[in-house]
Amino acid sequence: MITQLLRAEWLKIKRKGLWFLALLGPIGVVALQMVNYGVRKDYLLAQSDDDWGYYLSNVGGFTPMALILGLVILTSLMASIENESNGWKQWIALPISKMSVYASKFIIVAVLLFVSSCVLTILTLLYGRTLELGENIPWLQLLMNSFYPYLASLALVGLHLWIAIISQHQGVTITIGIMGVIICMMSYYLPDWVIWKWPTLMNDWNNPLINVALGVGAAIILLVIGMWDFNRRDVA
Amino acid sequence: MVNLLQAEWYKLRKTNIIPFILTGPLLVLAIAWNVELDMEGTEGFQYIYTSMMVNLVYAVMFLPLMTGVLAAIICRYEHQAGGWKQLFALPTTRGKVYVSKFVIIISITLIMQLLYALVLLAVGLMKDYGEPFPMVLIVKSVLGGWVATLPLIALQLWLSTLFKSFAAPFAVNVIFTIPTILVMNSEKFAPYYPWAQPFAMMYIAEDKRDVFFIPWEQLLTVVGGSFIVFFLVGYIYLQRKEV
Repeated sequence: MITQLLRAEWLKIKRKGLWFLALLGPIGVVALQMVNYGVRKDYLLAQSDDDWGYYLSNVGGFTPMALILGLVILTSLMASIENESNGWKQWIALPISKMSVYASKFIIVAVLLFVSSCVLTILTLLYGRTLELGENIPWLQLLMNSFYPYLASLALVGLHLWIAIISQHQGVTITIGIMGVIICMMSYYLPDWVIWKWPTLMNDWNNPLINVALGVGAAIILLVIGMWDFNRRDVA
Repeated sequence: MVNLLQAEWYKLRKTNIIPFILTGPLLVLAIAWNVELDMEGTEGFQYIYTSMMVNLVYAVMFLPLMTGVLAAIICRYEHQAGGWKQLFALPTTRGKVYVSKFVIIISITLIMQLLYALVLLAVGLMKDYGEPFPMVLIVKSVLGGWVATLPLIALQLWLSTLFKSFAAPFAVNVIFTIPTILVMNSEKFAPYYPWAQPFAMMYIAEDKRDVFFIPWEQLLTVVGGSFIVFFLVGYIYLQRKEV
């Protein structure tokens, strides 16, 4: 059943700009580094002996923000698609469970962001090669740089999908998203339990895996809560 | 025109706009309250130093993004339930509808800016910053930030009349706002990038050698120029919009 639902969802997001945004995110993040390195490459290379590591940390500086803004936009669009055309009613009238409708939306956003992360890995690698940062490409670091923030931000996908779907006013979810990005920008000063801090991979133990575990764990919990809550709600 | 403004205000009042307005001052309060002033050379500059720290977030990210949300809110009830049709059927012009919506958004933004100054003062009083309160500089900064946001509001109002969803105009807003973080560090590009202007205008500096200081003439050509372009595009679009 869920595969059929997913196929229907994929069809619905066609030509709505979701794919475009999912690709634009990583392109934007790497493009910002193209500008950064284009303007002051010599200065940046002089900053560290580990040129690849420094380059990756520069790319990684914008990844959490792009991820959070991206997931806010994608989840809000997923809700808008139904809100605008009164689609919820039709959707729910079908002989399918409400929970799987909710879950399919989560999966769509998670897959879109996964594709974004893959594109980010490829673009980071390609632009890094043109910078001639050295022959030893830190493959593991490269992968972690793209996928750890993604996994850590899945919790926020769960939170925002919930907010977007239950709020009648998409201004609310966007405003929470703006505040979230600002909180993320100031993560350095905030305690580790703040959910918007997780995508930055910062924590007191200096171990990014903790953020990944927290992100995935909380994502599952928030998904279940969201499904349960959506299931008992009336659909307008 | 006055009637239209009244109608717009009435619609807004019934749709809970206050929490959205309060996010601005709350953010300012949260940051200003936590600014640490134990560094050397901040004596006598506590207010200015605090406002600079606040602006790094408020003027760079919050103001451009939030005004976009306000623009979308003001078009929300027209997109729902055929509001545009009803509005355009009234004996008024589409131009006036557009201008009145624009006026409402910039008024709310002005209120937000004034609250910014008020919160700054309140934090100063509570944390005992003492004299001097740089009244002229703060007012200049607040009004400057407001003026610099006008073109961005004009663009967002156009996009909000164009798209039904909140997320689409927001996505465009994000695409232009994020690069500001890099652009504002560049002496060459910062003066010409409309989204970097709120920060430039709110940055309190008398010293001409400062990196962020940008002369008024340049600001007004960029801000004024982009305002005219965005406002006209939005104005013309609404004239031709199919409802």
